[in-house]
Amino acid sequence: MNAALATLAIAAVPAFVASVVEWVEAFTIVLAVGNTRGWRSPIWGTLGGLGTLAVIVGVFGTPLVIYQEEVKQSFHIVVGVLLLLFGMRWLRKAILRFAGIVALHDEELIYQREVAELRAAGKTLDRWDNIGFWFSYKAVLLEGLEVAFIVIALGAQGGSALQAAVAGALAAFIVVLVAGSLLHKPLAFVPENFMKFVVGAMLTTFGIFWGAEGLLVEWPLADGTLLIILAGVALTSFVSVRMLALIAPQGARVAARNI
Amino acid sequence: MNFLAAAWEQVYGLLVEDGQIALGTLAAFIACGAISALAGNLGSESLRDAVGPLLFVLLMTLLLVNLYTTGRKAYAKRTHL
Repeated sequence: MNAALATLAIAAVPAFVASVVEWVEAFTIVLAVGNTRGWRSPIWGTLGGLGTLAVIVGVFGTPLVIYQEEVKQSFHIVVGVLLLLFGMRWLRKAILRFAGIVALHDEELIYQREVAELRAAGKTLDRWDNIGFWFSYKAVLLEGLEVAFIVIALGAQGGSALQAAVAGALAAFIVVLVAGSLLHKPLAFVPENFMKFVVGAMLTTFGIFWGAEGLLVEWPLADGTLLIILAGVALTSFVSVRMLALIAPQGARVAARNI
Repeated sequence: MNFLAAAWEQVYGLLVEDGQIALGTLAAFIACGAISALAGNLGSESLRDAVGPLLFVLLMTLLLVNLYTTGRKAYAKRTHL
């Protein structure tokens, strides 16, 4: 029972939260395609993107799980480093957004921009719309790559973790699909930045924990140490936001790529 | 080709958005790995177990320093405009 709960907390929940953020971004683009060019091609594009992602998770995830025991130490190092690179990136960006230095992600604005771009491309007279297919395929595949990466990294702990992570990502997909189908508009109400912050903090925590275990460190409280590291990451983030508020009181509002 | 370039950019962007954070993370990890190896040679379990907290401290310091410099740059840019 405890093991099942731990798997849920360590693999399924972060995979679900992270996947919601990514699927919401993909949904905005697919919705823009469907509303401007019809639904036939974007549906096939979405299915094609999901199929490609399934192959990626299968090809990279399955061997990791099968040979997990044989390469446990180096495996912890690789997964730890990847989670750290990924988690620190999300954490940094979320903190900069909280501080007003980087603009918040605006799904409504992105939707309007995509619609304008798709209208400018003109409509096809054929039943099959290549532009609609590839726009949707790329959106689902490129946003889904982040989902696939998180699923593989979180599922790499072995046991039932991969299934839990896949279940979390699939549940997120279904939630976004149902909410999007009912509302038929961009899901701008989803608190993407807060969710990215939560996932960034969790991935950084797991990265530190597993990375150190890969270096043969024995944590004093075993898995219980995860909560202490998470609290430390959250505290550092809070201090960072306060610090940035002092440095740039009204937020600097410059593009992320320029700083 | 454009699609492959976009896919590569996405995969690369998954891990590297800010060079200082990415390189600093790798450097912190390598430093901790070296200390862990040294602890193994010296047979010091306590030194090895200090590597975990050290990794945490190094990474959180890196994050703070990176955000500080980013905030300063952003502020300078805004006041310059």
